[in-house]
Amino acid sequence: MLTTIKCELKSFEDLAHSFAAKELTANREEHDRYPFGPFFDDVVTKAYEVGLLGATLPEECGGIGQDISALCIILDHICAADASLGGIIFTNALAQEIILAAGNKNLLSAMMEKAVDAKGALIACPSFANPAENGVTLEAVKVKDHYMLNGEIDYVVLGGISGHALVPAKIKGQEGYTFFLIDTADKGYAKSEPVVSLGLHACPAVDLNVVSVAGTLVGQEGDGAKYFAKASDRMHAAVAAMQCGIMKGSFEEALDYSQQRCQGGKEIINWSGLRMILGQMAMKVKIAEMVVSEAAQAAENQDRQWYLYTRAAALHLSEQACKLTTDGIQCLGGNGYMKDYGQEKRFRDAKHVQAFLGLAPMRKLSLIRDMLS
Amino acid sequence: MIKPKENKSLLEREPRFEDSFCSLQAIPQIPKIQLKETRTLVSYVRKFNDEVVRPLALKTDLKTFQDPDYLPWDLVQKANEWGFYTMFIPKLFGGQGWSLPSHAYVIEEMSSACVGIANAVFVHYLGFMTVLASWNLPLINRICRDVAEGERTGNPCLITLAITEPGAGTDVEEVELVDRGKVTCYAEKVKGGYIVNGSKIFISMGHVSTWHALIAYADLKKPSENTVMLAVKTGMKGFSFGKHEDKMGQRACCASELVFEDCFIPDDCVLGDSRDFPNSQIRGTGELVNQIIHYVVEVTRASVGAFGTGVARGAYEHALKFASENAVDGKLLINHEWAQIMLAEMYKNVIAGRLAYNEANYSNSLKGGVFNFLQIKPLYYYMKFIPQPIIDVFFVPFYKLKITNWLMRQIFVEGQSLEAQKRCSGWSSIAKFFGTDMGMKNSQMALEMMGQAGLRHESGAEKILRDSKLLQIYEGTNQLNRINLFNCLIARCVPQARVFEE
Repeated sequence: MLTTIKCELKSFEDLAHSFAAKELTANREEHDRYPFGPFFDDVVTKAYEVGLLGATLPEECGGIGQDISALCIILDHICAADASLGGIIFTNALAQEIILAAGNKNLLSAMMEKAVDAKGALIACPSFANPAENGVTLEAVKVKDHYMLNGEIDYVVLGGISGHALVPAKIKGQEGYTFFLIDTADKGYAKSEPVVSLGLHACPAVDLNVVSVAGTLVGQEGDGAKYFAKASDRMHAAVAAMQCGIMKGSFEEALDYSQQRCQGGKEIINWSGLRMILGQMAMKVKIAEMVVSEAAQAAENQDRQWYLYTRAAALHLSEQACKLTTDGIQCLGGNGYMKDYGQEKRFRDAKHVQAFLGLAPMRKLSLIRDMLS
Repeated sequence: MIKPKENKSLLEREPRFEDSFCSLQAIPQIPKIQLKETRTLVSYVRKFNDEVVRPLALKTDLKTFQDPDYLPWDLVQKANEWGFYTMFIPKLFGGQGWSLPSHAYVIEEMSSACVGIANAVFVHYLGFMTVLASWNLPLINRICRDVAEGERTGNPCLITLAITEPGAGTDVEEVELVDRGKVTCYAEKVKGGYIVNGSKIFISMGHVSTWHALIAYADLKKPSENTVMLAVKTGMKGFSFGKHEDKMGQRACCASELVFEDCFIPDDCVLGDSRDFPNSQIRGTGELVNQIIHYVVEVTRASVGAFGTGVARGAYEHALKFASENAVDGKLLINHEWAQIMLAEMYKNVIAGRLAYNEANYSNSLKGGVFNFLQIKPLYYYMKFIPQPIIDVFFVPFYKLKITNWLMRQIFVEGQSLEAQKRCSGWSSIAKFFGTDMGMKNSQMALEMMGQAGLRHESGAEKILRDSKLLQIYEGTNQLNRINLFNCLIARCVPQARVFEE
């Protein structure tokens, strides 16, 4: 991402870059084995300690209090090395953004005050679903001054490793849905084994079965869709940044490899067919950097119809990242298909990240709906 | 209307009629009963899919993550029981002798259920094709009889092709490149055989196979004219397996490292040494080696096109099922117009992929194609209906005769014109890169339609995407296949065109 236009954010770039180099790159393959290998607890703890889990969280809630550009810069650099941590940062930030959109800053500050470790600070949420689109499966019942939640909900990201989860539920007899914050230590909170998934292996999701779990109301009853839309419009810029990072990582690995690998008596980079693939990848990466910067800026400045820019950025870069990471493997031939290199992981991760925030074709249709409204 | 001479010259213009309408030319010559055979085989493989492939596909994939040492013995056993390893081996060599061109339909069918398992079954025929392309009848017969014996006794006997090396992937597939590459697998001629040193990597099903068609070189500086094809049997002294790869997909099919340390291969296991090839009227030594490689890939690349088509179909079928059962925005996905258009696009990709591998198949059935000989009607029916013992008594003893060897070379080596070689190889490349690109396209589209649901392992859709990618890489990368197409069918009409010379 182009940080030159916002020099004051250089420090975030340095932080994310050095964190990625130190904590992520060397053990990427091992971290990716989860759930068939250990979870990278230590890395998540360190990410929490250096503030990567609270970039856009207001200072009074214990965060860094930055706007979306800073989050984008962090995600860009983290995802270039390992998008799994990016997925954790993203999901947590989405949950925070929904709670902030609902005007419940106090909820977050109370939670962060109590948090003594990464688990306490993390909030799970079903970050791949737009609840309005897929339907809401949880039901909430008001009992005196609090709510009890019941039902099953699929694919709650971080649901197995966080202290809290933000979930949508329907209040009986009401239109729309409502967000509730639940404590994962609640007796009625039952989670499945981590779901084995395409990508982002170390950003695990679980299926939940909640029985009489106490839920804290987030915002107003029935206004869930409003908060989700507001948060998701901003977080689309973050999706674009994640894809930008994945693309950069894939391109750099391909560029590096093609200078080492020889076929036909010379480095493969010197065959113009391969160089053309690299040229196309470079073009996509450079455009991605511009797109992310502009989209994040538009969101920060609240430019007219800024949300069209963030959504378009996420949709476009997701398509580009899926194409680019395929080429990223291709440049490494058989080696690119093996786990020893990072390319196959980036290919899976790009496709996985594309699914954040709901069905991509539906999000494309929403652009027109909102342009006309 | 047009004089014969003029007619000929008009049809020889690019695009040449002979290359453009392979099916139209081939179908009238094909024995009618082949259609019935294909129908039987397709329904047979559908049953195999129901009973074996689908129940095992996700389970096996998961098992490979849980146990990195897993090798697909159970799958091999099943495929052996169902007769897949001898299915397309001609009766001349003790196989079941189903018509070879049908194998592509069978591949598509099985790949639509699981391309990892389909590869575990059919990569055996890559090994078989390599052995066959040596035209060394006694050794072909010996290896194929072992496969048949393995089927009879329940001890599966599979064949691999061992060609890729750590430093040479694309290089070993192209005679024009191999002399510039870094090949290391060295075969030294000694009394009574060869001694081999070096290693091969990414050999599909290596660990669970018995015979390995090894491509080694007697001179590492000039491999193109010093290529040695050896048949190595698992257990031979000096031959061992290294690691097997941790791949993104197609995990049911292991990719093995083969290690040779002073491994002695006796003369009776030599498929061929390019230095001993008899002189040819139309090809030099390097070109004869090239012809062998192309005989193999003319069939196997089209097969990979069928793998790709199968994957495209699997992805389409998953998307269709999902769209039919799930609502988005309060309406079944299948009733959204955009989803219908996407599904139609995916359907078209399957059909177009199938047309491409079909045409490549028909090209191989025309004169100069490897299927042509056994499709000559009297021979086809004779082979089909004559009992195996009669073949064993009246044909097999002749395999060792010099005249038989001479005859085989006349039919398959001298008998294949350069034009036919280019037509078959060019078409095979088209089928390969088109079919596998369609596989990739459809598996991406399926996931776009399914969103979160498609990301889960148990959905099967994410596995299809992981599996699909390998198809664009092996059997010559899709880039190399484009160059091969250019070389075979485009460059010939532009005299100033040069390939691999930039």
